[in-house]
Amino acid sequence: MADPQPPQPVARIAQQDEADLVARAVAGERAAFGILVERYAGVARRVARAVLGNADDADDAAQDAMLSALVKLDQYDARRPFGPWLLRIVANAATDRRRRRSVRRVEPLDVGLTAGGPRPDTTAERRALNQRLREALAELPERRRLAVVLFDVEGYSHGEIAAIIGIPEGTVRSEVFHARRRLRVLLADWKEEA
Amino acid sequence: MKDPLSFDHRPDLALGKALREALDPGDAPVFIARVLAHAEHVRVASWDAVLARWARTGVAAALVVALAAGYFVGRATAASPRPTVSDVLIAPPAHPAEVEVVLASLMGNN
Repeated sequence: MADPQPPQPVARIAQQDEADLVARAVAGERAAFGILVERYAGVARRVARAVLGNADDADDAAQDAMLSALVKLDQYDARRPFGPWLLRIVANAATDRRRRRSVRRVEPLDVGLTAGGPRPDTTAERRALNQRLREALAELPERRRLAVVLFDVEGYSHGEIAAIIGIPEGTVRSEVFHARRRLRVLLADWKEEA
Repeated sequence: MKDPLSFDHRPDLALGKALREALDPGDAPVFIARVLAHAEHVRVASWDAVLARWARTGVAAALVVALAAGYFVGRATAASPRPTVSDVLIAPPAHPAEVEVVLASLMGNN
């Protein structure tokens, strides 16, 4: 595996100019809101998918959250980073959606990957690993999923994650610890099989 | 993959990269276009709406303060009823010495 770059929380990259973007969006400038959507679409969809499992449900939740954020933009405190504020709305939207209706299950593994046959190529292996990771994530409690995704994938600090999920910072550390332990076992097994 | 401690305060880059790939739904431009299309129909709280909301809050607060002030002033005046004209006339002077000085000066002038 190539050396991955450390995750950069988008909120930390440009907090100053985000306050300006929000002010312009509140003033009715849709292009400013467009920039915020472009900047946060990826993280919002991944966080929603960590909660919901299904990609379509996750996109619906992420979209609902972004539109909700647009309506509430005037309540955003520009002295604080925008990312955690938005992601709290995303996490709540995803959790609400999961509670409201029975969510579509995670897509089943490809038959070709589970029933033997010819050796799968790298792309197929990658897809199968992704599928396994999603299934392993789905087995974790929701808070644990969110914590590990926000910390290891998105690069937010324990304090920021505590604010996003609404739990103490120490609990975030514990959730990340347990999630990692489970996921690392799975990744190691996968490497041995490969 | 290395075997880093699970209770590490730094992000696990390899695990993070694997999870990112697993959760990445792709088609970002389609999603962004969809959100922005829906955003066209969303009414943003404009500055005048914000001001109006604050104005409503201000009026309500002023009303409460006025009612409270009225209540306390009313109670204070009820506790000490105003003296009538006769009460004032038959009441002893607050400073008798001053009255005597006035009378003495009047009589002296005569």
